[in-house]
Amino acid sequence: MVTMSQQNHFYDSKKWPILGRFLITLVCSCGLMPVAAQVQEPLHIVATTTQAFDLVTILTHGLPAGTVEMTGLMGAGVDPHLYKPTESDINAMYQADLLVYSGLHLEGQFDEIFNALGERGVTIVRMTEPVEVGGFVDFLPQKDPSIKPVHDPHYWFDPRNWQLSAEYLGEQLGKRDPVHADLYHQNASAYVAQLDLVYHWAYEAMQSVPAEQRYLVTSHDAFQYFGGALGWEMISVQGISTVQEAGVGDIQSVVDFVVNHQIPVMFVESSVPPNTINAVREAVQSQGSEVTTGVRGLYSDAMGSTGTFGGTYIGMYSENIYTILQSYAKQGVKVIIPPYPSDLQPQPPADLIKQP
Amino acid sequence: MTSADRRTWLIILGLAIALLLCIPLSQIIFHINYNHTLTVVALGGAALGILASVIGCFAVLRHESLLGDALSHAALPGVAIAFLIAGRQIVALLIGAAIASWLGTQFALAITRTTRIKQDTALGIVLTGWFAMGLALLSYIQSRADASQAGLDKFIFGQAAAMVQSDVEVIAIAALIAFVLLALFWKELKLITFDREFAQANGVRVRALDLLLSTLLVLTIVVGLQLAGVILMVGLLIAPAVAARQWTHQLGQMVVLAAVFGAFAGGSGAIISGLDVALPTGPLMIVMASMIVFFSLAFAPGRGLVWQKWQQWRTRLSLTQGQPIAAQPQSEM
Amino acid sequence: MPHHKTPLALEIHDLTVAYQSKPVVWDVDLSVSEGVLLAIVGPNGAGKSTLIKAALGLIPRASGDVEFFGTSYAQARDKVGYVPQRGSVDWDFPTNTLDVVMMGLYGQLGWFKRPGKREREIAMHALQQVGMQDFATRQISQLSGGQQQRTFLARALVQDAQLYFMDEPFAAVDAVTERAIVTLLQDLRAKGKTAIVVHHDLQTVPEYFDQVALLNKQLIAAGPVATTFTPENLRQTYGGRVSFLADGAQVVGMD
Repeated sequence: MVTMSQQNHFYDSKKWPILGRFLITLVCSCGLMPVAAQVQEPLHIVATTTQAFDLVTILTHGLPAGTVEMTGLMGAGVDPHLYKPTESDINAMYQADLLVYSGLHLEGQFDEIFNALGERGVTIVRMTEPVEVGGFVDFLPQKDPSIKPVHDPHYWFDPRNWQLSAEYLGEQLGKRDPVHADLYHQNASAYVAQLDLVYHWAYEAMQSVPAEQRYLVTSHDAFQYFGGALGWEMISVQGISTVQEAGVGDIQSVVDFVVNHQIPVMFVESSVPPNTINAVREAVQSQGSEVTTGVRGLYSDAMGSTGTFGGTYIGMYSENIYTILQSYAKQGVKVIIPPYPSDLQPQPPADLIKQP
Repeated sequence: MTSADRRTWLIILGLAIALLLCIPLSQIIFHINYNHTLTVVALGGAALGILASVIGCFAVLRHESLLGDALSHAALPGVAIAFLIAGRQIVALLIGAAIASWLGTQFALAITRTTRIKQDTALGIVLTGWFAMGLALLSYIQSRADASQAGLDKFIFGQAAAMVQSDVEVIAIAALIAFVLLALFWKELKLITFDREFAQANGVRVRALDLLLSTLLVLTIVVGLQLAGVILMVGLLIAPAVAARQWTHQLGQMVVLAAVFGAFAGGSGAIISGLDVALPTGPLMIVMASMIVFFSLAFAPGRGLVWQKWQQWRTRLSLTQGQPIAAQPQSEM
Repeated sequence: MPHHKTPLALEIHDLTVAYQSKPVVWDVDLSVSEGVLLAIVGPNGAGKSTLIKAALGLIPRASGDVEFFGTSYAQARDKVGYVPQRGSVDWDFPTNTLDVVMMGLYGQLGWFKRPGKREREIAMHALQQVGMQDFATRQISQLSGGQQQRTFLARALVQDAQLYFMDEPFAAVDAVTERAIVTLLQDLRAKGKTAIVVHHDLQTVPEYFDQVALLNKQLIAAGPVATTFTPENLRQTYGGRVSFLADGAQVVGMD
């Protein structure tokens, strides 16, 4: 910090009249204000998806009140492929200190905004960055080899990927707010351990189903990573993004698959209209086979409402596992669901664990 | 019936049969499998094509094509508001669509009556204004839970491939009601479309019949919204009617031919989209309808552009060769 | 209202028509007996078409009474025939000449009956009367202006009315058609019927019509041609925009 005494020759009363000295003092002291203000201003963090918001909440747990101010853009049940940012969303992003988003074009309508924000110098954390380097990234299955392969953006369904994102976000938060870097790191490590617990529990549960029945039929192709992490195969009506309209051929091929493999149950999703699955079911029934829909819908692109079990990543993941396995059990498939790890937070509500 | 009329009816019948024959032919040549999904979607598309094109004939002849477009676009805010009030109930959404359409046209009427603005401008205002309101409401709704699952945005472009049997039944019932009413009031509808003043002077209940046609138009649009979407619905209404007009000079033939074209567009759109997994059904139906229109505008005898150019060329040829102009054959077109 | 022993074909009393609170036609009193050919003349925008449309109830009246043969239009409807302006219709409509003529019989058929052989024959007969029988199956968009007009007349004829309103039937027609229309009018008069015709050609008024009504938003004068169709009245109607040939016997109107 420059003191007035070092500026003697500059501040020479012969050179500068009184008004001029007054103005210079004013200007110099204005330069000090932002530094003072920064200490009290909360860190504005904007998260796009429910998963991103959940992760930020967990990593900032335990901070003194008012340190961070979080804004989530998409709510429960919102389809991030189709969501268009509103004016207030864009304002929030422009004024954010930190923007956390998924990446791999999950937030399909945000690409231009992200480019613009980058130019404006907002700190952007793309959660898929560490995943692209050291995690599991799937490509959309391509029929035409000449088309450039596209990434599947639903990476968080592999808990090992989510661990990488959690650690990465912890680091980035620490860089932006060094004062609390230790807390972020602590939270991230604890959370990674929790993710280990849920992953092993889920793997054991899903592997208990006989190998020839490990198929998951859903509305859109959101569960490749889920299947890859847990040893199941995924079939869906719509492609990776719900932006594409399903065609008759899409529905037909799923119908054929369901009938040929005698799949007993299909799943609707919380953020996608169920009519494609209904159409598949009717077609399957017309061929004389039987197929039902699951006891509940699955969380695919969006999690549940904040405050509920399904509103957290671990809760959402676990609830999906319960939904799938309970649905299969109801159709007579042999399923063994191990007890929920006792030190895994949050704990599932009693009526969720109960077999329907 | 004149011989020319009989000829045209035979051609229409022949066309219908030929198109029906395409089904077994496509099974043999392209190995298309007419399973449940394809059958349901093809039938639904064909049924909607028939209903829309028949009503569309009257819309086109009454110079109400823009009205049909305005009605479809104006339905969007109705769908959004109905969702806000009643949630994902499809019946509520369709009722909301119908009310919004009706309100839109009343608003356009009021503008025409009270200002100097002409009808097409007033309809344009309503079409864009109502539709923009709908988009704004959808944007507001998208952040609410449950909104994505309601699939409200599917009303913009439609989702034909996810049809189930009950959807086809609804369209078939609507079509049946429409046909019965049109048949009952056929001559009066023909008269008020051709010469409204004369009809009025003769005691024909013009207003009641107007209301009948508008109601049928709104019914058609509402029934077809989920399938074709607000933007494309007008194509199913207008294209087959315009195409049919090119080939016949009798209202009855025009309506039947439009129905054949509409059925073909709807059915073939569905079938072609089934050939390749990546093609969307709704837009394909409209593409087929448009192809029929362009072909008809170009190649129809008498009214087609190609035919007219050929006649002009023949005339010029006769003139340059110093011969008397060959008597223009008074075709029955 | 005074009642005559035999009711007048048309009695208009104090008729006013307004459009967006601007009067278009006002305070018109007109009485027309049976067996009369009456021409309504006046400059453009005088309200001639408006007058007959208002009388027929096609546009709303601001005030006034109209009686047809002593009763309301609704009750006398089958005695009144209407030939609208040719330009009020889109002639590209998919139908043929015979079909248009048969439309004149829809009123007689009632709601759900279809036109049949009998209606066809009546329509063909009317087409013969106007010389259009060879055009019965012709698409109407292929008709010339005069042929279209004659089609409209045939349609009016099948209605077998006592009183006919015609809106500019002579406008832009060929000589053959003009002769046909005149013959038809004289035929009607011979049968004791009445025709009220909006006419634009002042030159032919004395030749074709018995009576004339001069209208320029208000009724200037109405009565037999000989006494009503005077240069003075014409000047008043056309606002001084009428010029006369030297010997005063020929009258040419300019708008």
